[in-house]
Amino acid sequence: MLILICHLAASGSGQLLRPGEKKSGAIMFCSKKKSLEVERIVKANDREYNEKYQYTDNRIHTCKYNILTFLPINLFEQFQRVANVYFLFLLILQLIPEISSLTWFTTIVPLVLVVTMTAVKDATDDYFRHKSDNQVNNRQSEVLIDSKLQNEKWMNVKVGDIIKLENNQFVAADLLLLSSSEPHGLCYIETAELDGETNLKVRHALSVTSELGADISRLAKFDGIVVCEAPNNKLDKFTGVLSWKGSKHSLNNEKIILRGCVLRNTSWCFGMVIFAGPDTKLMQNSGKTKFKRTSIDRLMNTLVLWIFGFLICLGIILAIGNSIWENQVGDQFRTFLFWNEGEKNSVFSGFLTFWSYIIILNTVVPISLYVSVEVIRLGHSYFINWDRKMYYSGKATPAQARTTTLNEELGQIEYVFSDKTGTLTENIMTFKRCSINGRIYGEVHDVLGQKTDMTKKKEAVGFSVNPQADRTFQFFDHHLMESIKMGDPKVHEFLRLLALCHTVMSEENSAGELIYQVQSPDEGALVTAAKNLGFIFKSRTPETITIEELGTLVTYQLLAFLDFNNFRKRMSVIVRNPEGQIKLYSKGADTILFERLHPSNEDLLTLTSDHLSEFAGEGLRTLAIAYRDLDDKYFKEWHKMLEDANAAVDERDERIAGLYEEIERDLMLLGATAVEDKLQEGVIETVTSLSLANIKIWVLTGDKQETAINIGYACNMLTDDMHDVFIIAGNTAVEVREELRKAKENLFGQNRSFSNGHVVFEKKQPLELDSVVEETVTGDYALIINGHSLTVYDQWFITLFNIVYTSLPVLAMGIFDQDVNDQNSMDCPQLYKPGQLNLLFNKHKFFICVAHGIYTSLVLFFIPYGAFYNVAGEDGQHIADYQSFAVTMATSLVIVVSVQIALDTSYWTIINHVFVWGSIATYFSILFTMHSNGLFGIFPRQFPFVGNARHSLTQKCIWLVILLTTVASVMPVVAFRFLKVDLFPTLSDQKRLSLHKVAHCVESISSGCFISLWVSFVSRSASGRRLKRRQDPCVGESLRLGDQAREDLDMLLLTKRAMESLSHLEKICELKIHPRHQGWKRHCIIALAGLKIYVRKPQTQ
Amino acid sequence: MKRKSQDCQSRLPDNSAVKQQQLPAYQLQLSANKILSGFFATGVFCLGVGVILLLSAKTIKEVEINYTEKCANCAKLRENAANFDKECNCSIPFVLPETMKGNVYMYYKLYGFYQNLYRYILSRSNTQLVGTDVKDVRNCAPFKTSHNGIPIAPCGAIANSMFNDTIILSYNLNSSIHIKVPMIRSGITWWTDKYVKFQNPSFQNLSSAFAGTTKPPNWPKPAYELDEEDPGNNGFINDDFIVWMRTAAFPTFKKLYRRLHRIEHFTEGLPAGSYSFNITYNFPVNRFQGEKAVVLSTLTWSGGSSLFLGLAYMVTGAVTWLAFFSMLAVHLRLRERKMFFLQQ
Repeated sequence: MLILICHLAASGSGQLLRPGEKKSGAIMFCSKKKSLEVERIVKANDREYNEKYQYTDNRIHTCKYNILTFLPINLFEQFQRVANVYFLFLLILQLIPEISSLTWFTTIVPLVLVVTMTAVKDATDDYFRHKSDNQVNNRQSEVLIDSKLQNEKWMNVKVGDIIKLENNQFVAADLLLLSSSEPHGLCYIETAELDGETNLKVRHALSVTSELGADISRLAKFDGIVVCEAPNNKLDKFTGVLSWKGSKHSLNNEKIILRGCVLRNTSWCFGMVIFAGPDTKLMQNSGKTKFKRTSIDRLMNTLVLWIFGFLICLGIILAIGNSIWENQVGDQFRTFLFWNEGEKNSVFSGFLTFWSYIIILNTVVPISLYVSVEVIRLGHSYFINWDRKMYYSGKATPAQARTTTLNEELGQIEYVFSDKTGTLTENIMTFKRCSINGRIYGEVHDVLGQKTDMTKKKEAVGFSVNPQADRTFQFFDHHLMESIKMGDPKVHEFLRLLALCHTVMSEENSAGELIYQVQSPDEGALVTAAKNLGFIFKSRTPETITIEELGTLVTYQLLAFLDFNNFRKRMSVIVRNPEGQIKLYSKGADTILFERLHPSNEDLLTLTSDHLSEFAGEGLRTLAIAYRDLDDKYFKEWHKMLEDANAAVDERDERIAGLYEEIERDLMLLGATAVEDKLQEGVIETVTSLSLANIKIWVLTGDKQETAINIGYACNMLTDDMHDVFIIAGNTAVEVREELRKAKENLFGQNRSFSNGHVVFEKKQPLELDSVVEETVTGDYALIINGHSLTVYDQWFITLFNIVYTSLPVLAMGIFDQDVNDQNSMDCPQLYKPGQLNLLFNKHKFFICVAHGIYTSLVLFFIPYGAFYNVAGEDGQHIADYQSFAVTMATSLVIVVSVQIALDTSYWTIINHVFVWGSIATYFSILFTMHSNGLFGIFPRQFPFVGNARHSLTQKCIWLVILLTTVASVMPVVAFRFLKVDLFPTLSDQKRLSLHKVAHCVESISSGCFISLWVSFVSRSASGRRLKRRQDPCVGESLRLGDQAREDLDMLLLTKRAMESLSHLEKICELKIHPRHQGWKRHCIIALAGLKIYVRKPQTQ
Repeated sequence: MKRKSQDCQSRLPDNSAVKQQQLPAYQLQLSANKILSGFFATGVFCLGVGVILLLSAKTIKEVEINYTEKCANCAKLRENAANFDKECNCSIPFVLPETMKGNVYMYYKLYGFYQNLYRYILSRSNTQLVGTDVKDVRNCAPFKTSHNGIPIAPCGAIANSMFNDTIILSYNLNSSIHIKVPMIRSGITWWTDKYVKFQNPSFQNLSSAFAGTTKPPNWPKPAYELDEEDPGNNGFINDDFIVWMRTAAFPTFKKLYRRLHRIEHFTEGLPAGSYSFNITYNFPVNRFQGEKAVVLSTLTWSGGSSLFLGLAYMVTGAVTWLAFFSMLAVHLRLRERKMFFLQQ
């Protein structure tokens, strides 16, 4: 799933979307403004009561316009854009006859074009919004009306209504959970649409309401009053009080199901609508669209401003020139143009001329650039959506670019913020090892007593005795089975705990297999492990848990359930076994649990701690396991207190927490579990590629520090060449800042070796998650592929852009307005190639481009000028007439621009051909049409160029001029590029110029020598070791070869070869190579990483 | 997730070449060899064209006689607009040292006349000139109407400032025999101008077609009297008028006036000898400090004489070659260095 892009979009606009609820900044347009709500009071099942507060109903409007308001509002919005205002300003200037130097349609044509296009796009968007609004508003939900469940459209749901939700249904509004099919009024929701997390979350109803169950008549009589906060956009906070039957119950976020969630694993639940429609937290989060500008946008704005300044300067210079000319020469032309008195003043004439030139030269300011950039981005986003390589078949999800504004930024990313679990790792947990009573299981020793990899050689432990065994479960230590069979009580207790202490729900499917529904995959892994080892969790009721212990069904009475939260970091159950003993089983974070152990556990604790460090060192997720035997009397007292606390109104949570603390002590340590969360496929390559792309990665994790560091090594984020990994530990923002400052000081002492370091950021507080952008590994892939495609395919779009937005104006205006081009084309070429601006990411290149433009314009003007001066045509007629000159220049221009585009296009697809040749063909056909007799006959005023193309373009000397102009303007560019490529080649130049070298390199790589050498080099690093463990036969072979090769090769040679192979490898890594060689490519990436390290080292020393 | 798997197939993007950005493409690879040989070839081509152009320009014979100063008295007379009805003739003798072979064209040439002035260019009415509406003077400011509001035909500054000298070339066989060199007027305009762009209003009688209009202030006679002998050359379709109305791009320009009619003595062209221009001097140039000249010229395959294009080709060719050699040098040196590195 391409959450990266989605999240870029979502975070960019600060909104949370759901299918069908398109974003919109215009909720304010539609919803009626109300006086500010301070507090919300809702009474269940009482529409009349709630009506007096005028709460919005559940209808949503994300649309901006309706048929009547579309035109005014849309135009108003559009004319807030600088580009359109600029055009409008020009249009007004042109309506002043003294100033007007171009006919008005030169401006109105592009303006109308742009405005219409935008309007059509907006209208389409809005149409879809209307459609999706309708679709969402018309969804059905079951509402309790008049003591009956009735089907009602979403939009008719009102605040205070009680709704029934069924499994896998979208939640219609923000609900207070009243009751559910699950015990304790629990229900599971998926909040992926809200926060992107795919883990199921649990919500539980107040016990008083959960008793209502599915009893319609009782629910209909429910008349609780909820007093709560006013609508807001905080997804993780809710405070309120439910008053019912004379008692008050405090409400928090745990009792609320938000619109946009999906009910999962819960066959039904009832909820009372608290916030509806636009007041829901989902909708409150939308609508605050903050337009994000990319760096190109910013650069473009700056450049456009500069160009505008340039235009003003040009206007002033030309106006001064005009004044001087009027003063000295123009005066004498009074005879021919009896000018008005006012115009006789040369200064005033200059002033008017200034504005005329502003109009004439308006096209210098590449306003169309904005439009074209938009189009290019749109195109890119389509290419992203269409890309099969970014299709994730696992979830049948294609990539989706939810915003078009940030596409090119994908090629300029500096930092990637990533979650660890479920992002770097698969979030599929496998029980790997455990430590029970001081003994490690799940570790295989070979003959020499060396630890070897578990995945190798040994056969998996068979569980044929156990019909419920999960075939996918593999555990490679027979010792554990032996211990179980021998009846080791600690081992049994350990497994029993795993089978009892969890929140997993079980279900039997039609085939009679047990299906576990889990909230957290860690728990799932542990319960499944217990199941495979003979302690099978069978079923649970609110009061009992039934497990099968090595074939015997045992039912435990569930006395208390001490749930998990982020502060407790542990969970416990208190059960009574059939023998009548009361036991507390607890599992949780080692640091927390170890504090609460009975002092007699000292020795075991030390041993287990060591084991835990070992597990963590392998990047495994660990949990400590402990139990406590409880005294019957003690428990009864405690339970009484717990019931009191539960009933309390004040400080209820605190009291409960205190009681939990009270009973979870003096625990007896059983051992620890280690669960592996496998790295997702491709993580290593991705992280390596990202590092090579100089993208820094921040990972957020809640793991132990050792686990985090090891995962860092495992996925190549941390490598051996990073000598010191700074560990920044702090519990508050201030502490962290202080630590960072220290680390920074250290760094500068150490010659900035940190330059491409990454940061593994431990989450100390779960709340910090909020500020972190997530993405999946496929997302990373998307990034790289996309960044790549941008450079390759930009050309295409530039071509498209030039044709559609530049050439068309050139054609249209060239014909209508040649009268100005000749005098002032000085500055046009830069405008004819504004597409280049896309490529030009810096100002330096911009100025080269301007210089190029000025040169081209000089050539375009002075060669025809010189050639036409005082020259007659083949038939003796003068050809230096104004219109022929204009046609010649326009034709030269189009040809020069086309040749330029052709040179810039290195990737000629059929589309490029169509556009390049098509633009020339279009130019000529339009030229001849405009100059035709017929058109002149109909509109003699508008088409005075009749016959011009015919006469001019049949003259040999005019073609000679065009040819010379083209040669003279293109040659320097080619020469410049040639020298640049030769003297300062960029990587892509090398790639293009020395394909044969690369081919040669691929061959040499097939021989394996170089690569294995470098793989062996890498192998010395942690990442290499991890690779080894992952048992890639290719790598193994490479390692062997590499070791040999290294011995053979002299280190001096190595250095030189390293430089060579570095560039070769880089080429290969960039190449799209045959799938057959993909394996090699992967090695190349790894080897390249190694090489970079190697090459960098001697340089820095 | 379950609901998603159903439409799994449909969500897989199409595997079309366009969508997957895998259109068959030709990658333009400009290798050093290609570029260098391209430069070399371009250089050769440009130099070749340049040489041809220069050689052919050399064959052109051209005589230009500036008569601004030579007809000083007339010029002085014209300085005062009040003398517009006074005729002034001026004869300028000259000697043609060599025969001008082939077609000979006679041009008038103006210096410092800004026919490309923005407002000047616009000051015309194409609808009037095409004969559809003889009273349409909309764009003709400042020469739309006369003082009493009658529309001017042809209106506008261009028409008003029409060049109206008459130039007659005589071949002086000896001191007494002066043969008027036969000149023809046809073919000095574009076909489209003569038959499409300029049309007289359709009336039996041309003068009645111009009824309700008045002549431009600078003109001695109305448009329908420009050539009363030849109806195909009268009114708006007068050749001299059409030529004038095709405005020049630069302040110095020459416009085709007449072509040599190659008959009798002149079948080969203009023989060497003494000639004279008899000029009826009407067009005032002193007022704008301009000059005027009459030009006789032959043509080559590429048209009239100009060394510029040939020279420009030569220069471009030379520069291209220069670039070629320097690029070659740079390239070879770099390659040597690379080889050196590789061999080590």
